[in-house]
Parts: sequence; C-alpha cells; structure tokens
Amino acid sequence: MTRFIGFLVVAVLSLALASGASAEGTLRIGMTAADIPYTGGQTDNGFEGFRFVGYQIYEPLINWDLSRSDKLPSLVPGLAESWEVSKSDPKKWIFKLRKNVKFHDGSAFNADSVLFTFDSIKNKQAAQFDQYGSAQISWRLSALKAMKKLDDYTIELETPTVTSFVPYQIVYMVIVSPAQWDKVKDWRKFAEQPSGTGPFRVTRFVPRERLELEANKGYWDPKRTPKVDKVVLLPMPEPTTRLAALRSGQVDWIEVPPPDSIAQLKGGGFQIVTNKYPHNWGHILRLDKEPWNNKAVRKAANYAIDRVGICKNLLNDTCVPGTGVAYKGHPWFGNPKETYDYNPAKAKEILKAAGFDGVSKRPARAVALISTSGSGQMLPLAMNELVQKNLKDVGIDVDLQPIEWNSLTQRFRIGFTGENAGVNALNISFNFLEPFSGFGRFFHSKSVPPTSVNIMPFVNPESDKLLDEAEKTFDLAKQDAILAKVHEVVVDEAPWIFVVHDLNPRAMSPKVKGFVPPQSWFVDLTQVSVAK
Amino acid sequence: MWGYVGRRLLLAIPTLLGASIIVFAMVHLAPGDPISAILPVDASKEQIEDTKRAYGFDKPLPVQYLKWLGRVVQGDLGKSIATRRAVILDVRDSLANSLVLAVSSSLLAFGAGIALGLLAAFHQSRALDKLASAIAVIGVSVPHYWAGIILIIIFSVQLNWLPAMGASSDGGLVGYLRHMALPTIALALIPLGVIARVTRSAALDILNQEFVLALRAKGLARARVFKHVVKNAAPQIITVLGLQFGFQLGGSVLVEAVFSWPGTGYLLNLAIFQRDMPVLQGVILVLATFFVLLNLLVDVLQTYIDPRIARH
Amino acid sequence: MSVIALPQELSTVAGAPMSYWRTVAWRLSRDRATLVAGALLLVIALSAMLAPWIAPYDPSAGSIRLRLAPVGTPSHVLGTDEQGRDMLSRLLWGGRMTLVAGLTPVVVAFLVGTVLGVMAGYAGGLVNTLVMRTMDIFYAFPAVLLAIAISGALGPGLPNTLISLSIVFIPRVVRVAESATVQVKGLEYVAAAKASGASVWQILRHHLLANILGPVLVFASTQVSLSIILAAGLSFLGLGVTPPSAEWGLMLNTLRQSIYVNAVVPALPGLAIFVTSMAFNLVSDGLRDAMEIRA
Repeated sequence: MTRFIGFLVVAVLSLALASGASAEGTLRIGMTAADIPYTGGQTDNGFEGFRFVGYQIYEPLINWDLSRSDKLPSLVPGLAESWEVSKSDPKKWIFKLRKNVKFHDGSAFNADSVLFTFDSIKNKQAAQFDQYGSAQISWRLSALKAMKKLDDYTIELETPTVTSFVPYQIVYMVIVSPAQWDKVKDWRKFAEQPSGTGPFRVTRFVPRERLELEANKGYWDPKRTPKVDKVVLLPMPEPTTRLAALRSGQVDWIEVPPPDSIAQLKGGGFQIVTNKYPHNWGHILRLDKEPWNNKAVRKAANYAIDRVGICKNLLNDTCVPGTGVAYKGHPWFGNPKETYDYNPAKAKEILKAAGFDGVSKRPARAVALISTSGSGQMLPLAMNELVQKNLKDVGIDVDLQPIEWNSLTQRFRIGFTGENAGVNALNISFNFLEPFSGFGRFFHSKSVPPTSVNIMPFVNPESDKLLDEAEKTFDLAKQDAILAKVHEVVVDEAPWIFVVHDLNPRAMSPKVKGFVPPQSWFVDLTQVSVAK
Repeated sequence: MWGYVGRRLLLAIPTLLGASIIVFAMVHLAPGDPISAILPVDASKEQIEDTKRAYGFDKPLPVQYLKWLGRVVQGDLGKSIATRRAVILDVRDSLANSLVLAVSSSLLAFGAGIALGLLAAFHQSRALDKLASAIAVIGVSVPHYWAGIILIIIFSVQLNWLPAMGASSDGGLVGYLRHMALPTIALALIPLGVIARVTRSAALDILNQEFVLALRAKGLARARVFKHVVKNAAPQIITVLGLQFGFQLGGSVLVEAVFSWPGTGYLLNLAIFQRDMPVLQGVILVLATFFVLLNLLVDVLQTYIDPRIARH
Repeated sequence: MSVIALPQELSTVAGAPMSYWRTVAWRLSRDRATLVAGALLLVIALSAMLAPWIAPYDPSAGSIRLRLAPVGTPSHVLGTDEQGRDMLSRLLWGGRMTLVAGLTPVVVAFLVGTVLGVMAGYAGGLVNTLVMRTMDIFYAFPAVLLAIAISGALGPGLPNTLISLSIVFIPRVVRVAESATVQVKGLEYVAAAKASGASVWQILRHHLLANILGPVLVFASTQVSLSIILAAGLSFLGLGVTPPSAEWGLMLNTLRQSIYVNAVVPALPGLAIFVTSMAFNLVSDGLRDAMEIRA
C-alpha cells in the first residue's frame, strides 16, 4: 500500500514539474474562432479567417498595407504590380501581374492562376467550382463580372457598371494554386494541403485542433519574409480558456482577453495591444414602424447612452465611444451636426418636444434582438443591459430578447419580417472596411433585401445620390470626402443607435516582439518574432 | 447462456433503430439551420439554397432519414458541414480522447470507490465507515462541472501547477498526461461516490447474512471472508461499474466543456453551436450504440457470474 | 432488481399499509443525519419560496461600478456578479429556478413512470413488451447526452428543460416500477388475495402500491440530485434557462469567465447546487434505510 502511494506521489510530482516546451521562434496564437478557418482559399469565420489563414497563406492581387498603427491601411500592390481603369472603357480594369512568384507547391503564378481562382468562385459550371468558398465570398465580389487573360501577366476585369470600388473588392479574392488543385481535384483535400503564394505555408493541419504554419522562405517580397519560423493557430472560443492558456504559457498571443483580466495581465508583465479599427457595435433599427420611425426618438436614444461609462467600467477601456458609423479621425467621419455625447437631459428635451412627456406618453416599447456571444459582439448581455437602463432613464422602454449568435445572424438575414415581426432593433456588430460594407449595403435604397441587407429600410435620396457619386469617383481622396458626406447624413438621420467601437484588444507574452497593431481587422505576422 | 447472449444481441437491433430515429428527429427538430451557421451574414438567398441542395437538405425528412440510415449501415456517417471531413473521422478522433478520459477516470473511480466501499462495509458504523460514507455522499452530490472549475481555480489559477484546458499535442506524452489530470479527477467524482455506496451496500448485505456472521464469530480468517464478500457482491458492483463507465463516456460533455478537452462532448457542444447536423447525428448515434453494447456486456457478465440473475 | 423485505412486524396482510408507514416515520425520527439534511432542505426550499420577500436586492438590478465585489463587502454580503448584481439575492431567486427545474421532472417522472411501470408489470405480455422496449430505446442514451440532445432540439428555456429532463427520467422510473410490480405480483400473499376473490383494483391499491411506491419513491429521491445537477448543467451549456434569469447553473456559467478576477464569488452557485444535492441524497438515504429497501 505504501509503495503504491509512493508511486502516486512521484507520478503526481513529476507531472506537475514537467512543463510544456515551446520551440524557438514559434508563435502560438489562441483565436476566438471555434474551429480552424477554412484553408481551401476563400476562407470562412469572417475576418478572423482572413486574419490568420486567408491573408497568411494566400494573397489577393491588391494587399492592405498593415505596417503602420497611426493611419488606416492603404491599398498596395500584392500579386498585381499595378492596376488601372481602361481609358477606353471605364467598365474594364487592367491588372499587371507580378512576375517570378511561386506558389508553395513550386508552380508559377500567372494570369491562369487568377482566372482559375475567379472561376472557382463565380463559375458554377467549372470543374473547380468551390461551393463552400464561393458562398463565403462571392457576395463581396459583385463588381467582378468577368475576367479575361490578355497575356501571361495581364488580366482584364469587366464590371457590370462603372464602379470605382473595384480595388476594395479585389482585396477579398485570394489566389489559389491551380497546379495543386489539379493534383487532388477536391477542395477538401486541397484544404488539407493548401498552396498559395503567401508568406506562410501550412505544415500541419489537425481539424478542430490546430493549424501549423511555417515561414515561406521563398516569399517574393524580401521585406515581408517572416522573421518567425513557425506559427501555431489554436481555436479557443472560450475567453477563460484563452486566458488560462496565455497565463500558463501554452500560447504566446491571445485574441480578445476577457476585459476583466486586463489589469491582472498588465500586472503580470503581459502586453496588452489595442488600436482603433473599422468596427462598430450598435443597434440597427426598424425605420418603418413605431417607435423608431420617429426621428426624434432615434436622436434622443443616441443622446441617452453613457458610452464612456460602458467603455471604462465594463470593458476596461477596450473600446471607445461610437457616435457614428465611423470613428473620429477616420477619413469618412466628416463633420456631423449631432455629437451624441452623453446628455440625458437633452434626450428628454427632444422627446418632450416630440410629444413624449415620459410619464403618460412614452414611445412604443422597443424590442431588441441581441445575442449571448459571437464574433465581434464583445460582451453583448452586459452592454445591452446598460443600454437598456440608459434608455429607460430617459423614457424609452426596451425589451431585450437574447438568442444564440447563429440564430441572430440567421434572423438578421430575414429582416424585420416573419419571425422578426415583433422585433424593431437588432444588435449586430459590423465592419466598415470599404465603402460597400460600411455604407453601400445599408444606406442605399437599392440595397434592400433580397439584393443586400438594408433591412431597416433606410431610404434617403441624398444618401443614394452621394453613394452613386462616390462609386463613380476614381480619385481615392475625393471618394473619401464624398463618403464623409454620406456619413454626415447617416449620423444626423440616426437609423442606428451608435454605441461603441471595439479596440481589438490582444494580450501577448513579453517574449513577442515586433508586432505593430494596424487600424485593421487583419494583421501582418511577418515582422513578429518570439524571443527565447 | 449463448442463447441469452444471442437474444439480447437481436433485441439490440430494434433498440438501436429506434435510437437512430430519435437521434435524427431531435437533430432536425432543432431550431436554426446549419447553413446559416457557416455562411456569412450577407450571403445571398441563392447561395443559401445552392448550399442546402449540395448537402441534401432540400429533400423531405423521411427521405433524408432513410438515406442517412442507408449510409450509416455501411459505416459512412456523412460529412461534417463545418469541416467537410467525414464525420466518422471526427468521431473517431474525439472518441479516442473521450475514451482515454473515461478509462482513466474509471480506473480512479472504480479503484477508489471499491476501496472506500469495502473499507466502509468492513468497519460498519465506526469512524472509518462514517468518513468513507461521507466522502461517497460528497462525490455523488457534487456537480462535476463545478468541481472542474474549482480544480482549475486551485491548481491552475492559484498554484499554476497544471494546465487549465485542452489536450495539447505538442507536449508529448507528459504534456498529454498533465492536461488529463484535472478533467480525470473531475469526471471521477460522481462515479466514485456511486460505486462506493453500492459497494458498501452490497458488501453489507452479505456480511450481515446470518451464516457469515456465524462464520466470523467462529473465527474464520479475514481474508476468506473478504474473498467471499467480493465474489458475491461482484454482480451488483459490476452492473454499477458498467453503468458508470457509460456515464463517463456519454456524460463527459460538461467536464469537457469546462476543460476544452477535445472529446465527443466537446465535439457535441461545438456541433450544437455550429448546427452541424451530420456530426450531431453521428456522435450521438455512436455513443448510444456504445452504451447499448455496454449494457449488453454488463448484463451478460452478470448472468455469467451469477446465472440466477437473468433479465427478461 | 430489488428484493423488498417487509418489516418483521407486518407479516399480516390486513392493515399492512398504515402501520408500515408509521414504522417508517418512527425509523426516520431516529436518524439524526437524515433529520439534519431534511431540515437543511426545508431551509433551502423556504428561502427559495420566500425569495421575493427576503432577498435584499432586486436580482436583476446591478451597477457595473460594483462588479465582482468580493464576499464580505458591507452592502453585499456574498459579493456581486459580473454585472454588479447582488449574489445573495440572485442565489435566493436562483434557488427557485433550480429547484423547480430539478424537482418538477422527477415528480413528473414519478407520476408518469409509476403508472406506466405498474401497468406494464401487472399486465405482462404484449403491453409489457411494448412499454419496456420503448423505454429501452431511451435508455440507450446516457442521461446527460439525452438531456442535451433533447434540449438542443427543443431550444433553451425553462419549459423545454422540464420536458427534456422529464423524458430522461421517466424510463428509469418505469423500469424500477415495473420490476417491483413483477416481483410483488409473484409473492404468495398476492396470489392468496387473488384466490380469495379480491378485485384487480383492490389488490393494486392495498398490496402492490404499498410495496411498489416504497422503492419507486426511494429511487425517485435519488434522482433529484442528478436532476438538479443536470438542470443546472443544461443552463451551464446555454441550453436551459436563459439570461438574465437567475439560476444556479446559468450563474455558474456566466461567472466562470471571472474566476481569474475573483475566485470565490464564481464558486458560490456551484456550492449551492452541491449543498442542495447532498441534502437530497442524505434524505433519500434515510428514507431508504427507514423503508429497508436494498439496492
């Protein structure tokens, strides 16, 4: 008996004292995704998929410049060295492709690769059509009607209408290796042995568990050949799990640490990295029925929210107040008349002027669909309860209906009909990465379902006119200025309750060096190194 | 006896068939469809319909059921919607992890449980009995997912001795064992309690039989009494062991959720969240089959040890 | 499955039920551990029932400035949760949900299961086969799995949780009831009663029920603790009660995210589940000992 106990003690001690080793120059990342994003090219899991898989293994013709923190990423040459609108036909764009680029499998990149990829997304009859990948991305590529090869390194793109938004769409289409696909002839197999041109290549893929990448030493841009040798991506949807993993040294970098733990992490020597990026969190409102069909009620709601309180007390400064679709400092912010600072007195005044005295006459009850968790949703329950309280304090009653994240996205698609007939607000976070995602899909009258997701519906001739003009303006600075005007219109119309902008918090071990947090949903991992 | 085994095996078939219908019905009755879970919010209606068709979700339910059943019988559990991998592969990998957890926590629970139970029985009504019984009651009453959280708080957060989650394929065997330690303990608690109590009860039944009391009074060697007790209590204890192993295999969901242990429970949780119907159906059916066969094994073992006990 | 030993002093048929229960009550009164556990249960049940009156705060009112206050904070004796809501109030109110979610399925299973089981046991033949084989199908699933699968199908919410857990427990009760009925049916004194011309209903009422209810009741009481743990477990997984309701399992889940900030407060709901569950187990133990039911 004593021998047995002795053995147990030794076993327990040796387990406790042994520690998990980490190879040198290996960056281990805990993602919020519940599973490994699709590695077959056009990735899933939204922007986290692009962040860690899509843009690391693959590249589009045009890249985001993610090297700076102090300004928005600009569009720079990727697999295309240059691009321009054809002078003879504004519906045609010419892309000059980069030479001497090889895919991870050794085959050469050229115009055929681009056409192959295009067909895999857009051409249902093509042998290489990827049903899954296409469903993920093709809605972003509405301006890409057809592609033609002019020569081995020149592509001509045809658009359905004249649109200056083409580069903003090209940036989403990453190029896959036709040679590799021909070897396996199946996207699932391709996903297990992917081949792109990106700075990292896949070495090991354990479904649902980990994805291992190694530096692509033959990458075409010597400035962006990765400093780190290996990257390991681990899905960790639970915040506490991520936190535990970081603290115990199982990973070096986690996405979205629980806001409560930030003080502790800082105290423990961990780096907390944040930056503004094109994210907004708010309520999208139903504009054709009470209570939100009354602009006064919408404005009052926006003046009632204590955004600073939410960011400081609940989220430990991992967000900033949001008073519009874009944030102050963003080229699209413009100069809106309404400032939407925290002013409950003003809110009550506005309501009173509209005939709601807050006692006998109150606006109709608002019913908001919220989620219990979800990508980009931050802390939906806690935040919404605060919003609810703020609104109640000025005389607007809100019922919250929490449902699961997947259900919420599904019901968002339906719009304010059918199952959502009794609902008049939806809390979903959005991005405003490019003009369509930020404005086009919501604030143009042609974007009502089924074309896109203007479910409110927001119909404003001024907004329509400005958005159409923006789409015809090829000078990016002028385009930004027009979009800023759109923003002013939107902010003053208040079709949403604007609440906060997330700051993309990440926590890293002190050993991680060289990371520059861009003002983007994406990251550049090539300059990162992990000290010993 | 082989006739009995044969009959039971035959009976298992309609049971499993019924189980498969229930599994299929439950999964398909669940609100929310799997396509929404994997497609971006902005995907067009056409895309959604196309994807649905690609997975065969546009056909009427009974047709889908029969197709699924047909493939199941051939060993094909379909393809996961989220990973497009064969479900059987996902199930195999996660089942391996769950089995490891179930086996190790069973060893812990059985060993400690039987030891405690016998200890209590042989020292009936004395201090040792009260202590052992108290431990058993605690074991049975503790919510194992809470116990898991407490273990994490003590051993991971405060002491930083053991990792809090996952199974870590990069730490080698030692790493795997370290990750396994806390979930094993958490999962073992309830079975430990149940087994201890049943063992105690069964052993007491025998010890308190008149002829045993007489023999002990006459001075029969402790070892022989012990052997007699164990042999006669075995059927009852084995039944419980079998059931508890089933509980640990099927009921590990909560512990796996707390520890992010990549077993069938974790897979199930993920599949529920992703509405990955093929995976849900596959996992539950496989677990149910395991359970049915396990019950069968236990019943047969029982009958073998004590032919007087024959269930219907 | 179980052999029922009638207390020695009750070998006569007539008058058996009344003094049997009296003896049980007498035995219980001597069992200190059970009495203490029973008292504890009473306290828990009462505090849950009286929650609206004795809770110091509104369980859904919270101030984020006071989040995760530790135990012993002057205005919040048991601390506050991640939204700043008073833990004591939420535990009291949560008790109602948890107890309802834990007890109701067992009560339902007890009623439905006893009827089904006695019917199957007494009728025998085809009826028995039909009922028992159907129960077997549900028995093929481990309890947790079945609960999760059904809840996953029905969706979250208290009513769905009650349905799902009832479905989990009914087959078990049916098995025990049927087994007990079959055994008692074969006992000599029942045959004697039949021979002396007693009707089915009379036999059932006086003889079978008294000797069946015992083991079934004991069995059901052992399932309460499991039901409470399962109900809380379902909420823990997001399949049971929905936020912002107070329910111990749900509280355990939402507080789990905060264990690194304040380790004690998140442990409280689990402690509540544990104590309640243990009290139920001790009481059911006592009941079993008093009724001298083995297995």
